[in-house]
Amino acid sequence: MMEATALGAATARSRTRASRRWRGAAVGHLYLTPAIVLTGLFVYWPLVASTVLSFYDWNLVSPTWAAVGWQNYRELIASRAFWMSLVNTGKAAAALTVLTVGVPLLLALAVQRVGPRWRDLYRVVLFSPTVISMAIACAVWLWIFHPLYGVLNTTLRLVGLQGPAWLSSSDSAIWAIILVTVWKTFGFNFVLYIAGLLTIPREMYEAARVDGASERQLVWHVTLPLLAPTTLFVFLSTFILSPQNLFIPTQILTQGGPNEASNNVGYLVYQLGFEYFRVGYASAAATLIFLVFLVLTALQFYLAERRIHYGR
Amino acid sequence: MRFHQGTVLLVAVLGLARSVGAAEPVTIEYWHINSPTFGGPAAKELVQLFEAKHPNIKVVEKFQPGVYTGLMQQLQVSLAAKRPPAVAQIGYNLTAYAAGQFPHVLLDKYRKSDPAFFKGIPDNIMALGVLGGTLHGIPFGVSTPVMYYNADLFKAAGLNADQPPQTWDELQRQGAIIKQKTGKLAVYLQQPNDEWIDQTLIWGNGGRPLSEDGKRIGWDAPEAMEAMQMWQDMVNKSKIGANLTWEEGLQAFLSGHVAMCLTTIGRQEHMRRNATGFQVRAVPVPRFGSKPLATATGGNVLMIFASDPAQEKAAWEWIKFVLSPEGATIWTKGTGYLPPRAELANDPRYLKPFFDEAPLMKAALQTFPYAKPWVSFPGPRGLEITKILIKARDEVLEGKRPAELILKEAAQQANALLPK
Repeated sequence: MMEATALGAATARSRTRASRRWRGAAVGHLYLTPAIVLTGLFVYWPLVASTVLSFYDWNLVSPTWAAVGWQNYRELIASRAFWMSLVNTGKAAAALTVLTVGVPLLLALAVQRVGPRWRDLYRVVLFSPTVISMAIACAVWLWIFHPLYGVLNTTLRLVGLQGPAWLSSSDSAIWAIILVTVWKTFGFNFVLYIAGLLTIPREMYEAARVDGASERQLVWHVTLPLLAPTTLFVFLSTFILSPQNLFIPTQILTQGGPNEASNNVGYLVYQLGFEYFRVGYASAAATLIFLVFLVLTALQFYLAERRIHYGR
Repeated sequence: MRFHQGTVLLVAVLGLARSVGAAEPVTIEYWHINSPTFGGPAAKELVQLFEAKHPNIKVVEKFQPGVYTGLMQQLQVSLAAKRPPAVAQIGYNLTAYAAGQFPHVLLDKYRKSDPAFFKGIPDNIMALGVLGGTLHGIPFGVSTPVMYYNADLFKAAGLNADQPPQTWDELQRQGAIIKQKTGKLAVYLQQPNDEWIDQTLIWGNGGRPLSEDGKRIGWDAPEAMEAMQMWQDMVNKSKIGANLTWEEGLQAFLSGHVAMCLTTIGRQEHMRRNATGFQVRAVPVPRFGSKPLATATGGNVLMIFASDPAQEKAAWEWIKFVLSPEGATIWTKGTGYLPPRAELANDPRYLKPFFDEAPLMKAALQTFPYAKPWVSFPGPRGLEITKILIKARDEVLEGKRPAELILKEAAQQANALLPK
């Protein structure tokens, strides 16, 4: 009888715990619902709709969608503009990775070594471009790039070099766009690194010094491994956001020209959809690009996760 | 009986209310590309005057950024949402696309009902709104390309600034002297994201941007290839020409680094105000030898997208007003566009005082009789054709391959996109 009562009490306690857990989970779900609904509505639904649309020919106005099967994809694969955009985006992603993931890291390490007053000054100087509107920055760069009397070519002439027509030459246009994008995004990554460096416990350095580690060894064996989560975040966000960050300078400075030389995948989708009004074709481009980036991002995650220390 | 009287009264009251309702103002939206520095105030002034004359019509004017392409994007979206403006400016280069793809009001019926309105607009100008024999839009803004030049650079090169080049041969000869004597570049032909000046070169050399039946692009015709090769040679061979983006090119001219600049008369006020340290003058664009002057016409038509009859009627009243002598005078003063009614330029009540005080405008008036259409390409792929031709121009000006090869390839691609 006693046993039965104890069993009953245990069951009741277990039920109460389960009920509390369930209630806690329900509240959690409830809080998440608005975010999930909005994400579903504005991210996943457009993703599905865009994929469906990629099998149709539609100009936004026509009352009917004409089903074209894989035609949009076939045309895209055969299109020079698509491959040029993809190659340019690859160039830009590689350049941005080196220049806005690697260089800010070196500068953040350098800034850590100077006195606090200088540190604050450097932070302000290097972060300032980030807060300037991209459109305004592009207007300024338009004049910096001016081949006849821009600051850039005038400076090059002073050292005996002949600068190109940055925005009109197919050899230099994409690099001009990359340069503006680097200038604009550099400071943000720099500040992220500074924040990441501040989270590394001082005891780690002290312990390593006690063990006789040199300055170089401290950076190599303490700083870089413990900064790895920040580096991964900077790397991934730079890579994933590169088409978006390239969009405004492309729109303002070159419109993808000359002859597609500075086009990129983000701007191409815009051109196809909102300059040519081929919404199905633009959707096919967007879907393909999404898949390419999905695979590359997954690969990066997979490789990076194996080498990252989260301090657990 | 009392019931019947009540019913009659009710019906009468409702009827009255309905008739009062009918007298309520009709509101129409008017979409334009006139920014605050390019005709925006003129658009507002036109609305005020129009509403004073037509108390039953309210016009909501809306500036659309991104010039004609930007306006088309917004228009496409508004049509998809079934809320288009009643009237919108459509660039001549986009007219065929809009006429072919967008539901709109055909305007030939007004030729019969309102013949007085059409008097005074020359046939070559009214033709800018006609496609396939049907009137789709009323030409509103009319601009011609002109050649602005830096009189001081001409003098510095020992040339007579009162006798600027009238032909391309003369331009190249004088341009070489300018380059040699001053070290400055001689000429810049505008290179925005359209092919307006390219079409001007093709028309000018006796070619046609599009065959009359609309089945073939004219970029691979000998006249077109010769004209574009000349442009390539000026940039890459004799190196008297500049290959710059539009903003760079305009700024280079305004700061005295380039002696001549071919662009729209719509920029005359900008040129006059911003030319730094030199006297800017304007003449018609050069001719090709003894061939007559011919230029592509820039600007826009007004098209009606209203589907409601009351809105359409109000839209037509608005169009009639803005093209009336009074409306066109405000418009021309505010934008530098030529009035479709050319006679206003000589009328002291309207635009004569303005033209007397704006000497640069004379170049446009001299060009006006030779205005040819800025051909827009028909069919649902017409906008892509324009882009193909712009890309070809980019490549021509880089000078890595002869113009002939580039233009033949481009024409082949473009022809494949024209409706069969």
